[in-house]
Amino acid sequence: MKRNSILLLVVVMVLSLFLTACGSAEPEAAQPSDSTEPAEVAEPTAEDPITLKFLHRWPDELYDGFFNDMAREYETANPGIIIDVQAIANDPFKEKIKVVLGTDEAPDVFFTWPGEFTNRFIRAGKVMDLTDVMMKDNYIDNYVASQMEPFTVDGKIYGAPVRVDGKIFVYNKEMFAQAGVEIPETWEEFVTVCEQLDAAGIVPIAFGNQAPWAVSHYIGTLNQKIVGEPIHAAYDPAVGDFSDPGFVTALEEFERIVPYFNKNTNAIKHSEARENWMASKAAMMYIEIVEIPEITRNGPAEIQDNYGVFEFPEYVGGNGDQTLLTGYPEGFVVSNTTKHPEEAIAFFKYITGKEVGLKEANAVGWLNGAKGIAKKGEISDSLYENTQIIYNAGGLVNWLDSGMHAKVTNEYLTDLQMLIDGLLTPQEVIDNVQEVATEVTSEF
Amino acid sequence: MKFGKKNYWLYILPAILLIGTFVYVPIIQNFYFSLFKMNSYTDEKIFVGLSHYVRIFKDDVFYTSLKNNITYALISVICQVGLGTVLAILIESKLTGRLRNFYRNVLFMPSLISVTAVGLLWYFIYNPNVGMLNALLTKIGLENLTHAWLAEPNVAIYSIIAMSQWQYTGYIMVLILVAIQKIPQELFEAAEIDGANGIQKSLFVIIPNIKEMLLVTSVITVIGAFKLFTEIYVMTMGGPYNTTQVLGTYLYQSAFMFDEMGYASAIAVIIFTITFTASIIQIRMAKSGKG
Repeated sequence: MKRNSILLLVVVMVLSLFLTACGSAEPEAAQPSDSTEPAEVAEPTAEDPITLKFLHRWPDELYDGFFNDMAREYETANPGIIIDVQAIANDPFKEKIKVVLGTDEAPDVFFTWPGEFTNRFIRAGKVMDLTDVMMKDNYIDNYVASQMEPFTVDGKIYGAPVRVDGKIFVYNKEMFAQAGVEIPETWEEFVTVCEQLDAAGIVPIAFGNQAPWAVSHYIGTLNQKIVGEPIHAAYDPAVGDFSDPGFVTALEEFERIVPYFNKNTNAIKHSEARENWMASKAAMMYIEIVEIPEITRNGPAEIQDNYGVFEFPEYVGGNGDQTLLTGYPEGFVVSNTTKHPEEAIAFFKYITGKEVGLKEANAVGWLNGAKGIAKKGEISDSLYENTQIIYNAGGLVNWLDSGMHAKVTNEYLTDLQMLIDGLLTPQEVIDNVQEVATEVTSEF
Repeated sequence: MKFGKKNYWLYILPAILLIGTFVYVPIIQNFYFSLFKMNSYTDEKIFVGLSHYVRIFKDDVFYTSLKNNITYALISVICQVGLGTVLAILIESKLTGRLRNFYRNVLFMPSLISVTAVGLLWYFIYNPNVGMLNALLTKIGLENLTHAWLAEPNVAIYSIIAMSQWQYTGYIMVLILVAIQKIPQELFEAAEIDGANGIQKSLFVIIPNIKEMLLVTSVITVIGAFKLFTEIYVMTMGGPYNTTQVLGTYLYQSAFMFDEMGYASAIAVIIFTITFTASIIQIRMAKSGKG
């Protein structure tokens, strides 16, 4: 009873967040002005404004401030439109978006992770198909083609990136010199580098896996490099086939570097591990390119000129394309239930477009998916170089955790924590994952 | 207008409507939902009968959760009610002297802080690298006792339980203090005339006279144990690998992370059954106490 009322409370609170924020009057539908045109919504005016709800997932001041600034600029340029900006932080976002989408008050334009995370909303008819919008006058050419692929499901286009991303290693140059090691080119070299750093008394890798999506990035990359193509069938909730022996090999390879992480990985948050790395307590860390601005903004002075980046080393003999990069863009989509589709699409184009993109690159240090932003000199050098890693990659591989069904992800990640603690063997992990995947398949 | 005997219904109707809408209807609805497979973002509902209940009783995580709730309840009753009583007796005794109110306030203070804040506070105390607890143990030469308190499967749930004892023992203590202060002074005087010492007075005068309060506090603690949610949510989210999962957090995750509203409703029904039974026992025993 109590639990239920708490649930109810959560729902009511989330709803009230949106209900209270959109008190302004809805415009009345006008008479069709032309018989060939479908019924049209009245032109918004300052007296009778249209409110668009816009939901992103960065409540922190810098990012939220940026999106609010962009919204205000849009309002100034488009009288009669009010953008109601809402933000929910990463982990709660994953839960709350589901509640919000079940109501009539769903946000008109909202953040999402492409892949299975979004696909279930697409299957439920909650995300607007933007194919016609994108194909009209080749509007899609305004975006970097490789970054639009993740938003394309069964040939239909549903969204566009708010920031592009990829996973890379950062390393401490001084520590590398101290241990006399070079940037590793292959996985074997990488393991050797870990050994040598360890022998020199340096913690080789900073790793915080309290929220276990962190480990999924290692495994996602290893799976792609070792297993190759069959990962798509495995991650697809309707197929769920983990029988390829590469999945076990990937975990066995991962086990080789477990001794080189800092202690208590399951007790430390990813952000804490990053702090430790920035404080020169470990030599390397596997991070996202979008975290680099965090280092330039908040890292101590000693680290600023003292770090470099390298890509995940090649796995010699792996079945996967070694040029692929782990990392998917995150993006915005338009709600299928929006009352103002035209206005929502216009705002969607603006917020994912070049104008906002340029400001975003300089204000926040992220790159969105619009073409022609990544120019040397116009954005910071480090952003430019890291962006080249993304653009030059042979292709992108989705994050393991948002690429799979939530239940499979949960089993996989939970078991990986146990693997790190030595409580499960690679074979046992994959057996458990297969079991849950099969169970999920039966629902499709 | 003449009010007949049956018109009392009119007077309690508003209350019944309110309680019905906000308490009873949701309970029944929740049971109804537990028979369906559904999620929060579509209207689609698939009838699955009692299969969620069958699945619950085969679910390892459910048993871990239940075990954690029960462990929490047992330790809480022993620590909060047991230790709380001892502390209350000590504070009421002559030993505390002028500092009586000071001790009482110090012990009561933690229960005034919000659970979320306490959770964060202890999250830092338990932090394996910069936390106070490990630093303290290292300082006094007990380095082999240091742990990653919230990350080791055998330690994590007890770390959280320990925090709750720190927070709530003072609260239960104050409830018992009130009960002790209500004991007629004559009883103590009579005991003193009979030559009873402090311990004898506690055992034969205080304990029998606060029996009711002990019962009430025990039931409060047990029900509280099954309502456990915030502590876990703030500190571990049920990790590492579900070892600190409790029914409340498991319900929440099923509903909002795994898109299984129906299964979550079934867990809610189980929690309801347990707390409802505990309440009935409380009411029954409270009555028998009066007789």
